[in-house]
Amino acid sequence: MKEIIPAFGYPEEVKPLFLETEDLVFGDGTCITTEQMWDFMTKEGPARYPYAFNTQASFGGQLSGDVTFLSGIRQNYLSMTHMDRIRDMHAKGKPIVIVRGWITSEPYYAAGCISVGPPFPRGWMLQQIQGQDFRQASLRGMALLEEARQNLSIESCNLIAYLALLKKNELPVSAIAPAICTGCSDMAYGTVACRTGPIKVPAFFMDYPVNHGSEGGRVEYLETEIRELTRKLGDISGKTVTDEMLAAEIRRENQARRIVRECQKIWWDANVPPTNSIDNSFVHLGSMGAFDYTVAIQVLKEYYREIDDRIRKGVRGYGLRSDPARLFICGSCVHPNGAFIDKKGGVIVGKDDQWSTMTMDVKESGDPYENLARAVSSHPYERPTEERAEWTAEQVKDSRADGVIFMYNWGCNYQSAVAGMITDIIKERTGLPAICIEVGELTRMESLEQSQNRVEAFIEMLR
Amino acid sequence: MVLKILQKIRESVERRPREIDVAKKDGQKVLGWIGYTIPEEIIHALGIIPVRLGRGGDDRLVEIGSRYISTQNCVFVRASAGLLAENKDPYVQKSDAVAFDTTCMQVYRLGEITKYYFKKKTFFLGIPRNFQTPHAREYFTKEVEGFTRRLEEFSGETISSDALAASIGLYNNIREAIRTLYAHAAHDSLPVITWREVYEVVHAGYHLDRQEYLTFLQDLVREVRETHGSAVDEKPPKDVRILLSGSVIAPGDTKLIEIITRLKGNIVADDLWSGLDPYLQGEVREPTLKGIADAYMDRVLPPAIPCLDQSTDTRLDNLKRGINESSADGVIYHSLRYCDSVTFKGLEIKEFLRHEKIPLLEIHTEYAQSDVEAIRTRSEAFIEMVKFRKQTGGRI
Repeated sequence: MKEIIPAFGYPEEVKPLFLETEDLVFGDGTCITTEQMWDFMTKEGPARYPYAFNTQASFGGQLSGDVTFLSGIRQNYLSMTHMDRIRDMHAKGKPIVIVRGWITSEPYYAAGCISVGPPFPRGWMLQQIQGQDFRQASLRGMALLEEARQNLSIESCNLIAYLALLKKNELPVSAIAPAICTGCSDMAYGTVACRTGPIKVPAFFMDYPVNHGSEGGRVEYLETEIRELTRKLGDISGKTVTDEMLAAEIRRENQARRIVRECQKIWWDANVPPTNSIDNSFVHLGSMGAFDYTVAIQVLKEYYREIDDRIRKGVRGYGLRSDPARLFICGSCVHPNGAFIDKKGGVIVGKDDQWSTMTMDVKESGDPYENLARAVSSHPYERPTEERAEWTAEQVKDSRADGVIFMYNWGCNYQSAVAGMITDIIKERTGLPAICIEVGELTRMESLEQSQNRVEAFIEMLR
Repeated sequence: MVLKILQKIRESVERRPREIDVAKKDGQKVLGWIGYTIPEEIIHALGIIPVRLGRGGDDRLVEIGSRYISTQNCVFVRASAGLLAENKDPYVQKSDAVAFDTTCMQVYRLGEITKYYFKKKTFFLGIPRNFQTPHAREYFTKEVEGFTRRLEEFSGETISSDALAASIGLYNNIREAIRTLYAHAAHDSLPVITWREVYEVVHAGYHLDRQEYLTFLQDLVREVRETHGSAVDEKPPKDVRILLSGSVIAPGDTKLIEIITRLKGNIVADDLWSGLDPYLQGEVREPTLKGIADAYMDRVLPPAIPCLDQSTDTRLDNLKRGINESSADGVIYHSLRYCDSVTFKGLEIKEFLRHEKIPLLEIHTEYAQSDVEAIRTRSEAFIEMVKFRKQTGGRI
């Protein structure tokens, strides 16, 4: 008989500590008490999503074992309940819009929409059946991927393939409205492919002009594209987006980005990493806003206070070795399994893609469209590759990384094309080892051994 | 029987590298380019020699290219990276700089690789993706103006209105002549010139002196017209007429064409960006940079530009028109591995042509020879099926 690996659970002795934290307050004034959160994470969550509490080594999406890192638990709560909240917001009339990348969220939220990523159809369909264990959820996820690929192409990356689920499944998606840029090769053509099929979802996109070498017209073009995008999003939500509304959203997201930058700075400067790789994911709160920037900002502030406290006390993130190999991750969307990295003696210190957006500080006075266009037009991640690599090398130095992994998923043409070039430049500028790893595991829950073997070998080399 | 002018074109192609050497000694610069939307009129008007780079069909170049760019990139891009890395192709060697446009962003990435690894001077031309909007045209006009300024610095010349007008006239005439040749290959009941020969002529134009090229084209049109009606016994039978669609079929990439031809399939038309498409609807009406920008925006959409509205997608209209005008019996949809812009549209094209009652065969391939037999089997079955249905029920 095989040994049954017990599911992860938050110990009762943590509860009093957790209950001392603040209730979560959302943008519409809704309040979730700490008691409610605790109940969800210890009773309702494990019952509805047993797979999420799995601790088998082959499971790539494990919860952090750092049970005393309370903002980590709160972030997990936000993550695990996001579909419920999206469902509620949608029921109250908020349109769900599929986007790709982290170019800008402001137009979407200013227009009263919820922006979700391309795997939203998978997530939505997966959680329709609750109570699934790890194997059941994994198989269901693979079946959805297969269905999606059948309706798009076998050469699509996993993430974008899920768009094709929209062609034959009634899902609560009001529009597909991504930014077309160098971050993703498949989103543009995946969106086009959705124009046919039994179910047609309205689609429009913001064109991000990639040629930075031109003397004029680029920012103006982008500004008009942002205006058009915002207007169309307003049409979807039935709102007229005024300059003041966009400016307010810019201020709100600027605040989130500022806190993320502050968190990142103290995390990087700390003598010992204050969180493990899984909990070092606060950047995501700044870029996607947990679908509600009000609550995201609240959790980010708590995050800052908690890691600052840990740094002052010299607390090391749970599960980390005493001197872990610090890894900086490059590339879009996919990243190595944090739990595995920690176990093998490493720690993820940063990622370039969402972090690139977090470095953006949009001017808050004057024309908000122009301000946004100027800020967005100089995203480090979207700059010519040589410039992007120079910027990344600086981040690698600032994060005091020991090595760099450029990871891209099967089917990603634009990131894979420059992975070698970027790692070559980083190696030259920093003198650090850097490796490119192609994987096919995006959104997969298991069968990650190939990439894990390579990551493990890289960590061993660094150590 | 080989057309006399066609033979002359082949001889001129042989001579061309040496001619360019002489021109370079006289101080002329050479600009290689890869893409779809580079306006050669501007390059020519500045006295720069334009050469279109890129080769297909060579798996060895793909392997070399893969050392610099990813195996997740389409084989044309990888082979072109190999071509630039190897630096043995005479036109790559002679190019003082290489221009890339962002129509296909894999090609844009190739440009970045070229600049960094191969130390070539590079120029980039940005292409808007929301092409149908007025502000996209405005942006593209500014891109064209900026591109021109950079080329002026490169050549040391300032573009004159007269030179620009002359170049525009030259290229308008080239486009017209190529359309005429395509029409002869597709329409003539007993064609004097085949699609494959026209395709060869199009690719000759990548390198030849453009004024000389126009003369050849006009002479060739004349020769075809004069010869039309006389017995020509070396042309393939016209029993199954095929239109080739999909990914670029670059010079050197003959695998699919050879297979179809050997199976007695008769390719009569294409809608490829390496074939007829750049010569359709590209008439420059106003002899200015804005006129050029407008004309290039009005061209048939290449698959690499995402078009979200099927009703305004000129690519589909163009495919339908090509099928009708060439009386094609079927379409072979050629998709190169990792050419997502074409591959992702495969299902839609199938549906579109099913509605039009036109049979379609999708061939998904790369430059390796390992799939030759598989492609042959599928193509043979397709041609047999089309032939049978044509014989029994007329056009499908």
